Parts: sequence; structure tokens; C-alpha cells
Amino acid sequence: MAFVPSFSIVYESFRLAVGSLRSNKLRTMLTLLGIIVGVTAVIAVVTIINGLDSTVADAFSAQGSTAFSVSKRPLVITSREDFIRFNKRKDVTEQDAEALGRLCDTCWRVGTSINGTGLVKYGENRAENASVRGLSLEMFDIENVSLQAGRLWTDQEGRSGRPLCVVGTDIVDNLFEGRSPYSVIGQEIRIDGIPFTISAVAEPFGKVLGFSRDNFVYVPFEAGQRMFGSRDSIVIHVQVRDSALFETAKDDVRSIMRNRRKKEFSDKDDGFSIDSQDAFIGIYQNATSGIYFATIGVAVISLVVGGIVVMNIMLVSVTERTKEIGLRKAVGAKQSDILLQFMIESVTVTMVGGAIGVFTGYGLAYLLSFVLGFPLLISPSSAFLGVTVSFVVGMISGSYPAWSASRLSPIDAMRNE
Amino acid sequence: MENIDTNGNGLSHPYNSLIKMRGIWKTYQMGNEQLHALRDVSFDVRRGEYLAIIGPSGSGKSTLMNLIGCLDTPTKGEYWINGEQVAKMTDDELARIRNKEIGFVFQTFNLLARATALHNVELPLIYAGIGSSERHEKAVDALKSVELGDRVTHRPNELSGGQRQRVAIARALVNHPSILLADEPTGALDTHTSAEIMNLFEKLHEEGNTIIVVTHETEVAERAHRIISIRDGEIEKDEKTR
Repeated sequence: MAFVPSFSIVYESFRLAVGSLRSNKLRTMLTLLGIIVGVTAVIAVVTIINGLDSTVADAFSAQGSTAFSVSKRPLVITSREDFIRFNKRKDVTEQDAEALGRLCDTCWRVGTSINGTGLVKYGENRAENASVRGLSLEMFDIENVSLQAGRLWTDQEGRSGRPLCVVGTDIVDNLFEGRSPYSVIGQEIRIDGIPFTISAVAEPFGKVLGFSRDNFVYVPFEAGQRMFGSRDSIVIHVQVRDSALFETAKDDVRSIMRNRRKKEFSDKDDGFSIDSQDAFIGIYQNATSGIYFATIGVAVISLVVGGIVVMNIMLVSVTERTKEIGLRKAVGAKQSDILLQFMIESVTVTMVGGAIGVFTGYGLAYLLSFVLGFPLLISPSSAFLGVTVSFVVGMISGSYPAWSASRLSPIDAMRNE
Repeated sequence: MENIDTNGNGLSHPYNSLIKMRGIWKTYQMGNEQLHALRDVSFDVRRGEYLAIIGPSGSGKSTLMNLIGCLDTPTKGEYWINGEQVAKMTDDELARIRNKEIGFVFQTFNLLARATALHNVELPLIYAGIGSSERHEKAVDALKSVELGDRVTHRPNELSGGQRQRVAIARALVNHPSILLADEPTGALDTHTSAEIMNLFEKLHEEGNTIIVVTHETEVAERAHRIISIRDGEIEKDEKTR
């Protein structure tokens, strides 16, 4: 019983803490501020990054780690020199795709795309900078495109060069001003002046980081070639049946492609680039971990400052209440009782700050998620983290003031006026 | 009672004593000099006595009061309170003795300003580890005994000086201590209220409480049944007045 404080003492200490916080609201508010800022930063960043992670993961899982692409230039080019070097490579062609389809056993689906942008018009309505892609039929499986209205062109329609297209929901919204997807099937739109008939409307993909992914027109690959073919190399997309085969398939594709380009073992450059979403995720993770650590740094600094403020205020509070401490000791409070009282007070301040911080942090994350359009993922663990951190700060900041209070002699304390 | 003065030096038989001090010294080191606040003080207090300790300022009476109240320990000497040797106790053991054996009444009341009369009175019980319902009951009883049963939820700033001191007395009594130790209990009160408080002390004494009042006011001291005069850290006089 000697070392276990009774419930009444803990309760008394808690009551006191709340009382003293209430009696000096401005001071309490200022004391809380540092902790609030720190915890807000932690919660907001953790929540935002969780949300971003899930958005990015969703966005990329459309292809997932079962698909990769083969193209003339890599998706990410970081220097002008590289750009020039990659441009000197041979174009990737339909014949390459055909060869992969024939020779690569681990490749499940092989599709081709030719990509560009264009001005899409319907009457006077226009959609600028729409993504215009010529896709082989396999691409709709590889990229998991589903249709909400209409039908895909047939293989024969594609080969014969029928001017059919599949449009994204943004195109419907922009060109047809709120007409239903069904009602736009069969309408004729113009892509860079060339007429195409809408055969289907795709299900929306949604937004990633505030950017819509539904502003597109897909046309048959052959039609796309006619529009862009002379200007650019094509992209071959390969999908494996099982992600376990992913690396093997990449290797197979690499050796087949190198062979076709007559590359020797000593040639460093493949003469083509293989990209998968992993590369994007890597870049994304690099970027967000930077943000993560920077904000954690800010949070740590404000928590340290907040902790110092709390310690300062606690010291003031101990000095102000010297007489009270003396009285409490005179009527039988042990050193541990006084220590406990001030520790509880300090921890109460920081925990209140932490709790407010958790809410403002979520609030901030909510606002940002609203503006940037990613899901708000409130994880209980980040709230737990915020509260734990503020508990620890309270313990650390309170320990010295509480210790010095517990050491006061009742006589000296009560003499104090 | 029959044991008083058996050895002719004003000391009663130890087993009947509530307080027994023997050869108490309290010495402060002031730079290179030693300052003896108390020199070889010995006396006994029996249960049920009403004692006043008087002396001019600087005489050592406050030091003596601190020692009696177990707020401090002597430099040398032995001190038993209710059979326990307290001269060599640690801070926490002293806290326990103060909680159990001593009820303090201070000149400036020393009430917690933000707390109600009830909560102020409950304070010693909280540190005694007594549960809330029993605490509440005892505190209300103590307040009733000082005729403040109708002021339970008042805060100190809603009470008069005399009422505040009565709250403090209720706080001192609530844990049924062996000794009620009052330091200038009327120092901050007017004549009329002082008389009221002194009457209350008398009543408490009649009810069997042991009371020690430290004061420099002769009117206050004269209400006691025994007066110890301190001068220059020594007992100058120890006389029964009633």
C-alpha cells in the first residue's frame, strides 16, 4: 500500500489539475499550443500520407504488378542527354509485339498502344488535352477497362479501320453536358478533325491526386496508328497470369527484344525500356518519405518547444502554489503524493493538447483530402500515437517541476507568502 | 494525574505522556556560526491537556512548534509522540505521523481557495487513503462539530474570517488526531471572532482533545491550563495555571 497511490489521491490530483487549468485559461491555451501544433502535424501527415498511399495503390493496382510495358523511351527521363540518347533508339513496332506474342511463353496477354493527346469536339463543344490512345483489344483486359454503356469494336472492325471509339466519362460530361452515357452511343465526335463514332462509354476511373483519369478517347490501334503512326513509336504491354512470373516474363521479353535488335552480350543499352508500376511507386515513395520525415521533424521541434513551455509553466505553477504544497504536506501528503499531483497535472495539460491536436490534425487532413480528392483514412493508430506522444512529453516536462515540488519542506513552503 | 511531578522536575511518567521530549536541540548553521534555536528542551504533554507555548519572537517557539508538529526533526535529542520515536524519522514517515497524530490550525487558515469547505476538510482524509463516501461523512461531521453544517459547499472567499478558521479547525479535527496544534490561531481575527474561536477551543478541550496553542498573546495563553514560556531557545517557565 505504501507505494501504490490510492485512487482518491489520483482522483484528487486529476481534479486539481483540471481546476488549475480552468482557472487560468489563457495560460493553459498558450501552454497547449506547442503540443497542439506538434500533434496536429503528426496526425495530419500520417492521415494524409495514408490516404495518398491508398489512392496511389488503388490507381496502380489497375495494372498491378502483373503488367509491364516495353517502349522506346522509359516513362521517366531525368536529363536532356538521356532524352537524346533514348531518341536514337529504334522504334518499337507491331512486329515486336507479334514476336513477343509468339515467342514469350510466360507472357499471358500482349497488347499494343499508341499514345497521344488531341482536341476532341462535338459540334461547338470541345475537350482539350484529352488523352487519345489507339489500343489493341487486349489492352482493355490488361488495363481492366470496363464499359458502362455500348460495346467494344470487334477485331474485324478494328482491323478494317472502322472509326469507332470508347470515351471516358469526362468526355461525355464535357461534350454532351449531362446526357446519359447511353444516349451518346452512336454520336459522332471529331478527334483532331477526324470523325469517330462513339461505340461505348467506359466506367470512370476516378481521380488521382486531384487529376481526373477519365478524360480520354480510346480508338482501335489501327486507327490510332493512322493518326500518330508516322510520328511515334508504339508501346507494347505485357501481362502475366501470376505475379510470381513477373520477373521471369520481364527477362524473357528482354532477351527476345535484344535478339530482335541484334544486341551483343557486351551492349549495355537494351535499345528499349521496360517499365512497370513499381517504378512509379518507388518514385512516389521516395517523394512521400521525404515529406514524411520533414513533417516529423517539424512535429518533433514543436513538441520539444511545447514540452519546454509546459515545463516552464509547471515551474511557475509550483512556485505559485508553494504554500498549498506546504499545507498538503502538513496534513499528511507524502513526497510521492505531491510528485504524483504535479505529474498528473503536467500530463493532463499535454494530453488535452494532444487530444485537441488529434482532432485538428484530422480536420486538416479532411480539408486537404477534400481539396485534393483522396480518401480520408483515419487510423486509430495515429490517434493513439498522438496521445502517447503527448503523454510522454507530459511525463518528461513534468518530472523536474514535480520533483522539486515534492522536495519542498512544509515549513519553508508555508512561510512563503 | 497522580503521576504529575513524581520526580520533581515537571516531567510525568513517560508511559502516560502523549508527547515526550528529551534534550531537544535545534541548531542552524549560519555561515561559520552555529545558531541554537532550541537548547536542551525537555517536557511532557499528557493526553487531554490544554497547553499554551508563549514567548517573544525569535525565542524559538516557532521552531518548537515545527518540531512538535513533526514538520521538522531535531538536530539532537529524543521525541516520542504517542509512543513512537519521531526524532529520526524520514520525510514520508513524518508525513504519516502528521496525518494521523497532528491537526494543524494556522494563523492565516491556509485553506485551498478554489476548494469548498467540505473539500478542504476532506484533505487529510484523502492522504489517509480513505474512500470517498466515508470521507464525505466524516468531513460533514467535522464541519457540524464547528457549527458549519450549513456552509459545506461554500468556498473560503464566501466565508467570514471566523468561519474560515472554523473550517481549518474542522480540517484539523477530521482525522481524530492526538494533538490539535494551533499556531497564532487568532492572529488574523478581530477581538469578537477571537473570543469565539477560543470558546471553541475550550469546548474541544472539554470534549477530551489535547490542544497546544503557540501564541504571543497573553489573553489567548491565559485560556490554557498550562503555559510554557520560551526564551532564547530554552524553557523559562512551565506552570499550571488552572
